[in-house]
Amino acid sequence: MIDNFLAGSAALFGDPVTILIFVFGVIGGMLFGAIPGVSMLTLAAILLPFSAGLEPAQGVMLFAVIYCTGTYGGAITAILFNIPGAPENAPTAFDGYPMTKKGLAGKAVGAAVLCSAVGGTASALLMMAATEPLAHWAIRNIGPPEIFALVFFGLAVASSVGGNTIWKGWMSVLLGLLVATIGQDPVGGINRYNFGMSDLAAGIAFVPAILGFFAVSEIFVQAERRAFGKYNAPKLSVDFPSFAELWRYKIAVVRSIFVGFFCGILPGIGATLAAFMGYGEAVRWSKDKKSFGKGNIEGVISSETANNAATGAAMIPLLALGLPGGALTAMMVAVFQFHDMEPGPLVFYNSPELIWVVFAAMFYANVSILFIGLIETKTILQLLRIPFHFLAPMILLLASIGSYIGRGLVLDVMIMFLAGMIGFLLRRSGYSIPGIVLGIILGKIGEQNFAQGMQMVHYDLVTYLSRPICLILIIAGAITLGAGVYKALASNRVGAKQE
Amino acid sequence: MGHLNKYHMFEAGIWLTIATVFFIYSFEFNQNIEIYKFGATGWPRAVVLMLLFVIAGNIFHQRIHGSSIQAGRVGVSDDDLAKEPKTLSAVMNVSSFLVLPLVYAWSLKPIGFYAATPVFAALVIILLGERRPKWIVGISLLIYIMLIGLFMIVLNAPLPQGTVSPFYDFSAFMLRMNTQIQHLF
Repeated sequence: MIDNFLAGSAALFGDPVTILIFVFGVIGGMLFGAIPGVSMLTLAAILLPFSAGLEPAQGVMLFAVIYCTGTYGGAITAILFNIPGAPENAPTAFDGYPMTKKGLAGKAVGAAVLCSAVGGTASALLMMAATEPLAHWAIRNIGPPEIFALVFFGLAVASSVGGNTIWKGWMSVLLGLLVATIGQDPVGGINRYNFGMSDLAAGIAFVPAILGFFAVSEIFVQAERRAFGKYNAPKLSVDFPSFAELWRYKIAVVRSIFVGFFCGILPGIGATLAAFMGYGEAVRWSKDKKSFGKGNIEGVISSETANNAATGAAMIPLLALGLPGGALTAMMVAVFQFHDMEPGPLVFYNSPELIWVVFAAMFYANVSILFIGLIETKTILQLLRIPFHFLAPMILLLASIGSYIGRGLVLDVMIMFLAGMIGFLLRRSGYSIPGIVLGIILGKIGEQNFAQGMQMVHYDLVTYLSRPICLILIIAGAITLGAGVYKALASNRVGAKQE
Repeated sequence: MGHLNKYHMFEAGIWLTIATVFFIYSFEFNQNIEIYKFGATGWPRAVVLMLLFVIAGNIFHQRIHGSSIQAGRVGVSDDDLAKEPKTLSAVMNVSSFLVLPLVYAWSLKPIGFYAATPVFAALVIILLGERRPKWIVGISLLIYIMLIGLFMIVLNAPLPQGTVSPFYDFSAFMLRMNTQIQHLF
């Protein structure tokens, strides 16, 4: 492994063009992740056609680096503006934004920088050491039933955070699942709910939905606060947390690395679920559960460690099985195809140098988050000085461009603003925006894997549940769901007695 | 009725309408899939069924607790504006702010990004309370130049050009200018 890593490093740093592409990816990913309204996906979508002109290793490496640094960059907007740069940063906003309101933005961003770097680096090391054995394990043990079970568990976790009640949490998730049914069904390709619009046959693209629900709705919320004279500008602070402060959360970091890595390995699940699961586990194991959502730094640490830990792991199904774990890894498949290559087991034998350049680049990208991230953060924090009425049009316009670029459809810009309006109204009524977004993202994956799983076991539930990993995940999801409903009903009984 | 109020009933009505619309429209694609027993409607109808169950749970909860937040919830929204007195001008302002982006999105097809964007930026700034003309024009232009610089000149991103003259001609002029700038490098 070390020899391969050194060879990959030499190939990466031995060619000036490759170095330039690496640096561009690191800085571009961080910047696009950290600019409210656009995301690493916007940059990746713009760069995709240009990657055809690069060497295969350079093209794949560029997207892998953007994936690592963009996942971290999205935390900054989540913390500073309550606008997650990507869905995997949504749980970061739960505690990051309250910290900003308390004047602790520097501490939250500092924790995100360090934990993203630690989670990502650990994940890169695990990926380098274990891609092949893990891929073999995944082939043997992970199938559609397990993926569906994990989706179910993830949705159960998502419903337990965000909404004012468990019911509103579930209503949010189910609304997301319903939105995800728009477009072709994943088994027979039959058009569903396109209401006569041919552009809807491909479904609701999740980038406009995410930008609408997160970025646009937040702008609407702040505009309303401004109209009613209740707007408070976020407080600027650049005091980073000390190492001793962060050391207290070492167990949360280690736990989130494992949670993130496990979620990342599973094809189609990716970093978003990792962040929710990391956050959910932090709440579950904490002695001070009530402080979550009010500015507990452990919330930021857990979700940021988990989502970056998923980035390295997401490369395993992509490279070993040819299965992308999310939108950005799907674009990486396109990069392979531009060069007449297919990601999959044969890549390890046909192009080992490409694999190790990518692995080395991901390792160095995660390490560079720590150094460049700290410098960049001090600059990005100055965004808080820009008055809201000048920042808002910039964010709305960036979000419009970000929505449009993916598919070149004006309909996507409309969907984004509609999602923003719906998100604004739902937030006011205590619903969970991250729950809706997770429902949209996982809906199709869940349905597809449920259908495949059912076909595999010939619709026999006993056989379905006889798969140990599937059973464990279903039970974990059911316990999470049951506990949430029990708490709600118990509070109902207390409420009824008090009446 | 407990703590149920008109707002809760309205809210439940909206959710029931969503569930009903999705259920009724599912008959439009109610086709069998040979390889899959549950067909194209199985999953959406299961989601609708679960939604109905959860709506019932929500109504039951609101009947006892009203709009109060369930104890132990994490990441809940803090709606401190709910009890604020609402002046007509503020409500109008918020309503305009909600509608303006939709108008902008609608205008992108006929007018195009290049002509619609500076106007949209200026209107947003005005709706957010800025009244100094120099600042409105200056910041709108600054935002426009930054976006054009990054997405048109540096990244060559394709943006909506419009279909109606003279907006289409303006977009064509911008793109010609971009080509000339690209040739300089």
